[in-house]
This record gives sequence, structure tokens and C-alpha cells, in this order.
Amino acid sequence: MRAPVIEVENLTYIYRPYGIVALEDVSLEIKEGEFVAIIGRNGSGKTTLLKNIVGLLKPTQGRVLVEGVDISRSTVAELATRVGLVLQNPDQQLFSQTVEEEIAFGPRNLGLPESEVESRVEEAIALLGLERFRHEFPLALSIGDRARVVIASVLAMRPHIILLDEPTMGQDYRGHREIMSIAERLHRDGYTVVIATHHVDLVAEYAQRVIVLCEGRVLLDDTPAAVFSQPEVLRRTHMAPPQITRLAQALPPSLELPRDVLTVEELGEAVLELLHN
Amino acid sequence: MVAKEFQETPQIVIRDVSYRYPDAEDYALEGLNLTIHKGEFVAILGEHLAGKSTFCQLLNGIIPNFKGGELEGSVLVCGLDTQDVSVAELARKVGIVLQDPEAQLFTTKVINEVAFGPENLGLEREEILRRVRWALKVVGLEGMEDRPPPSLSGGQKQRLAIAAALAMRPEVLVLDEATSQLDPVGTEEVFSVVRRLNREYEVTIIMSTHKSEEVARFADRILVIHQGRLIAQGTPQEIFRDTELLRRAAIRPPQVSELANYLEAHSLRMLEFPITIEQAKRGIEQLFAGV
Amino acid sequence: MDYSAGYYPGHGFFHRLDPRVKIALMAILTIIVPLVRHVYIAVAMLLTVVVLWCISGLPLRIMGGYLKMLRGIIAFLFVVQAILHPGEVALIDPLIPPSVPLIGGKGSVTMEGLLFAALITVRLLALALAFFLVTVTTPIHLFTLGLVRLGLPYQLAYTITTAFNLVPTLQAEAKLIMDAQRLRAFSAFEQRNPLARMKAYPLLLTPLVIGAMRRAQLMAVAMESRGFGSEGERTYIEDIAMETKDWVFVGLTTLYCVAVLAVNF
Repeated sequence: MRAPVIEVENLTYIYRPYGIVALEDVSLEIKEGEFVAIIGRNGSGKTTLLKNIVGLLKPTQGRVLVEGVDISRSTVAELATRVGLVLQNPDQQLFSQTVEEEIAFGPRNLGLPESEVESRVEEAIALLGLERFRHEFPLALSIGDRARVVIASVLAMRPHIILLDEPTMGQDYRGHREIMSIAERLHRDGYTVVIATHHVDLVAEYAQRVIVLCEGRVLLDDTPAAVFSQPEVLRRTHMAPPQITRLAQALPPSLELPRDVLTVEELGEAVLELLHN
Repeated sequence: MVAKEFQETPQIVIRDVSYRYPDAEDYALEGLNLTIHKGEFVAILGEHLAGKSTFCQLLNGIIPNFKGGELEGSVLVCGLDTQDVSVAELARKVGIVLQDPEAQLFTTKVINEVAFGPENLGLEREEILRRVRWALKVVGLEGMEDRPPPSLSGGQKQRLAIAAALAMRPEVLVLDEATSQLDPVGTEEVFSVVRRLNREYEVTIIMSTHKSEEVARFADRILVIHQGRLIAQGTPQEIFRDTELLRRAAIRPPQVSELANYLEAHSLRMLEFPITIEQAKRGIEQLFAGV
Repeated sequence: MDYSAGYYPGHGFFHRLDPRVKIALMAILTIIVPLVRHVYIAVAMLLTVVVLWCISGLPLRIMGGYLKMLRGIIAFLFVVQAILHPGEVALIDPLIPPSVPLIGGKGSVTMEGLLFAALITVRLLALALAFFLVTVTTPIHLFTLGLVRLGLPYQLAYTITTAFNLVPTLQAEAKLIMDAQRLRAFSAFEQRNPLARMKAYPLLLTPLVIGAMRRAQLMAVAMESRGFGSEGERTYIEDIAMETKDWVFVGLTTLYCVAVLAVNF
């Protein structure tokens, strides 16, 4: 049984002084090595939840534990070596003159010896394919590359858990694919990965588990197949399953095609199999 | 989808257009030739940095009048040559909505935001208020006149931006990735407004986007831009079944079209190439019936 | 959610003042405040401004936010002025030993220095808080309209308005950037040591300024696309008119300034 690395217990968060209840009595547990997607419309509480996990926000009620550590008794800096957060807008997360310096920023702030900093920088550059941008000014890169530099910089803190808040923002289809395959690779390398997004087709393809937030509460928490086979529930938060899933659900049952497909290939293969028999 | 009839004379004519940004070595756009008719709903697809934004800004004269650079060829919009006329004059004909909801809203109240454009034109106060009321009604934001723009949701902000453009009473509305930063709700709101503008008010729509599903449902024509060139144009059916084009231009069709392409690669062809769920459903039923 | 660009809606007295009066107030204070030579007058003016804030109906945390923002500059100015200002009664011995050529013997903190430093900082604080009170209680378009009705051409008025609203706009952005820095174990802005904070500023300024420039570019495109800069007379759907209360305020302020100058000189 894998250990839980994130434990959220009855978390309520209210944005003072506006009095906006962003999260209401949220409880969930994420285990080591999981690949979790958090979906929900804008304003459903995804970003607030992620910020509470890394300690940028402290719970109004309830508590959050990261690797057993109560976040309200810890500093953001200390938590950053356990759980990394990549925020939505790369332009607010890049501060240095070169990509190398940017990646080194975090480890240096941790007071690590220069040799350790260097090796982490090399590792991150290799992992994210940033070799040719080493000496470039980060804020001048294209949006997809800026996002990757931020991810590399967060990874250099060597967290075990990585949270990504809408990492595909502003990018084209190829950019989306690249980010998701980076997330997948990190997952394979042993990271616990949590992605907040509203791209249900990417979620269907990559995530192992989907948590649906609606107005600050958890609406559904299950596998992608289970979540997307409940379109009526999803409609409450104005979300819909991927188009291919909706197609499968619209087909007459007499065709005996699976109704819980998550990708084009799945449905395609099922059609081919049935027709060739 | 019912085929639309368009006027003889095109509303927008782009002839041999090439453009370079100031101090740039490479062309952002090269050898563009195309026409757009009044009332068309045109979608522009292409990967990041292919030139879609540049193209959008050609249409209201921001390029080259505001951004400088070298423009070859001619862009005629509603009879006006964009190089002979100021951006302010073109603003009466072409409205533009940008990607970032926050960057294009800069007043403290919704009503002021929508009135900004007509105020600049020096119209009479009564006329301005009439236009503001009309624009807010069309986008579904009536009653929100006194709200501060930052307090609106993403979809509402973009609808406000559309209203602000509409108050100029343009014949053409250009949307440059206006839904890229919105969630599914916001996206639906924007497309719904845009479709209404196109169907009910005959506003020509030119929309650069990645949302293939919506494009399939609403667009009359798709322009594919790749590395600054217009490499293809056609109906959604034509574009989304061209797998070689899709791969080359790095654009993604609706999943149902992807399915049809997948099946076709395995020698299974539907009678009608699907771009919507309804069509795909029929197509699959036909395949099974034919067996 | 956040009323960025500084303006906080309300119906208090200051909110309802004609923008021209508020602009004139800013102009007058800019001339008068630097002329003040005595600390107690400066303190009195600061207190007046604080009272105006308190009766304006604004939540006090807004003023608190601006004070927090200014504390670095104020502290820095105070220290520099205290050290550099010449005086006779030395409270702290010279920082630079007399044996050092040219600048030897300098850098002592004197009574005169302290008083001068207090004067400078209190003056700055009074002026800054007055300015912020105006931007917080005046919507951008009314500020611009005020400038236009005072005789400025529209585009110039708009540019000036935007400049004044820059600070609050950047504040919200700065917070987000600092959050991201905290995630990389960087907490220099939370430290007491002003020197450490100063070293941290370039890291904040780079993304802040570039972000601001990008947004400004986009905003310019949006504005041009809606006819900004059209020729001819511009219309305004809202107009402003001076009322009794405005003239009363002008009268009171004039008396106040005359009194200040009289006592000062």
C-alpha cells in the first residue's frame, strides 16, 4: 500500500476580505506516484487548492499535510523541497538573465554548494530539452519554452511531488502534447504528478485519476473512465467528457461498442475489431 | 449545415501580401492571396507563431500603421486600402478582440468600456448610449453596466471585449485566439455570441483559434497558415480529412474526424466525412449496417 | 475580484469631489510640500492627509497597503539623510574615520541630521498618501476627464492618468511574482534587512517591467483598434460639474495652504 503524500482534511478556504468561499470542506488523499488531474471550470477552486498544498495560502479551516508535515507549521521554502508548484503564467515566474541562472535560482536559495547547484541545472536542462536555450533570456523565449524553463526551475528544487496549474495555457496543440509528455515522463520517473486543467481530452488520455471540483467542493473523484461516464454530473460544473467519449455514449447500445472510451484509438480499435469479425 | 450564399463583390481582398516586422530578417507573412465575403465565418488554424496574429492585425490596419514594418501588396477591407487610411477610420469597419482578457479592458466600469470606442469617434451622447445598450444586449451582459471589468469571469470579459468592439458598429469582427485562455464555459459563451452576430447581424467573422470542435460546427471556411504562408483553405470537411495537411501544419481536427481518419487508414470509409458527433454517429451506424 | 488600477469604489466625501478639485489639490501640494521647512508643519500636513483618508469611507487596509509599500523607500531616505546631513551635535560618531582623505570625518548622525531626515520623509509620506488618496477615489475616466476639462488635450490627459495608475496596477502583479519567488525558497522581501531587500529588487523588477511593457503594448493595440486618437472632438458619456461642496473644499484648502505658508515662513 503506497503512502499518502498529500492529505487534505476538511479544507475550507475563504478569500478575505471579499468573503469568497473558494474551497468548502474538501477532503482528499493523494498517494505516492499517482498521476492525478483536477478539473473544473475557472473559479471552481483548482488554483486555490494547489496554493494551499504548497503553503502559499494557509487554510481558513481544516488542514493539509504534505509527506506527513502540516503545511501551516512549515515555511513555503521548506515545503518547496517536497512539493513543487508550477503556476499558470510563466511570465510571473521568470526572474533571471539566463535560463541557466533561472534554474540555479532555487537551489542557490536553498544554500546548496555550487557543485550541487550545477549538477541540478544540468539535470533539469537535459530532462526538459533546454540545451539550446542555456544562455538565452528566459522572458524572451516562446510561450512553450518559457513554460518548460519554469518546470525545469521548479524541478531543480528536487521535490517529490509536482503540481502544475494549467500548464498548457496559451500554447498550441503541439505545446499541449509536449507538456503532457513531460508530465508523463516525470510520472514514470517516480514523481507524484497533479495537473489542474480544463482540457478533458488530455486528462482522459494521460491521467490515472480525476478529481472534479465544482464551486469549491469535490464533485467526483475516480478514474477517468468512471468520471467521464457521468456526463449528467459533469454538466453541473459545465464540463463535458471528451468528444470521442460523448460519441461513444451517443451510439446505440445494439452496436455493442464500449461506452467508456477515452481516446480516439480506443474507439477506432473497437470498431475495427467488431467489423472484422 | 445550410450552405450560405455570398455577395459577388468580396468584402476583404488580400493581394500578394508579404510582411516583415520592424528590424526582422524573416517574413512573418509571405505571398498571401485571398478574398473574404460579407457574412462569412472564417476560422484560421495554424500552429503557434505561424502568423495568425499577424494576419489578424492586417485586417484592421494595426499592421502596418501602428506596428510599422514593411508591407508589400495590398489589403482592402470594405473598400478601404489599409495603407491609405488610419487605424481609427478602419475601426468603424473592423473590430478586433485579443487573446488576453485583462490586457484589452482598461476602464473601471462595463459601461465605460463599451462607450470608449464611440466616445473616441465623437458621436452624440444619446447615440453612444444606444449603441452601448445594443452591444451589451447582443453579448448578454445587460444589467452589468456598473460592474468593474476585473470582477467578471473570463467568458464575461471576452464578451465585454466583443461588446466594446461592436459599439463601433463594425461589419467585420476579428477574434485573435479570443478563447485560448478561457475554460469550456467561457469558450461556449464566446462562440455562441459570435455565431449570433454572424447569423442574425450578418457580421463577417474571422477567428483564429485552436478549438476544432467549435470550428467544425460554425465555420464556413478554414484558412490554414503555416510558417507565414496560406497553405490551404476549404470547408471544415475538406480540411479535417486531409491528414497530410493536418500533420504538416500541426493542427488537430475534432476527435470524431480523427476517428474517421483512423478508420480510413485501416480501409474503412464512412459515406460522409464527419465533423460533428451527429455525423460520426450516422457514419458508424452506416458502417455497421453495411456489413 | 481585485479592483486593480487602484480605484476603490465608494460614495465617501472624497469620492464625490469633482476630479478637477482633486487634481488641483495634487498640483498645489506638489508645490507647497517641498517648501515646508519645519518638521511639525510637515507632521501636521501628514496628519491632515491621514484624517482625510479616515473620513473617506475607505477601508483602512488600503492605506495600510500603501504605507507598507512605501516603508522601504522611507526607511532608506531617512537613513541616507540622517547620515549625510551636516550638523553640530553628533549623536553617533562618524562612520568614516577622519584619516580617510577627502571624505574623512563624514557620516555621523547628528541631531540636525535626524530632524532633517524626519522632515524629508514626513513630507514625502504626506505627498504620496495625498496622491494615492486621489487615485483610489477617482475612476480613471473621470481623472482623465478632469484633466481635459482643465484644458489638456485628450491624449495627453490619458497618458498622465495612466502614469498615475501605474503603481497600483503593478502592485497586484508584484505580489504574484513574489509568490513565485517564495516557491523557489526566496524570501528576501520578507526580511527586515533593507540591504537584502534592495538586492532583491532587480529580480522583481525584471518580470514586472517586462510584463508591464507587454501589457501596455496589447492595451495600445486594443485602444487604437477602438479609435483612440481619432481626429475631432471627443464625446464623454459622463460629465463633471462643480458643485457647492467642491467650491467649499477649494476654499478650505486655500485657507489651509495660506496658513501653512504663513507659519512656515
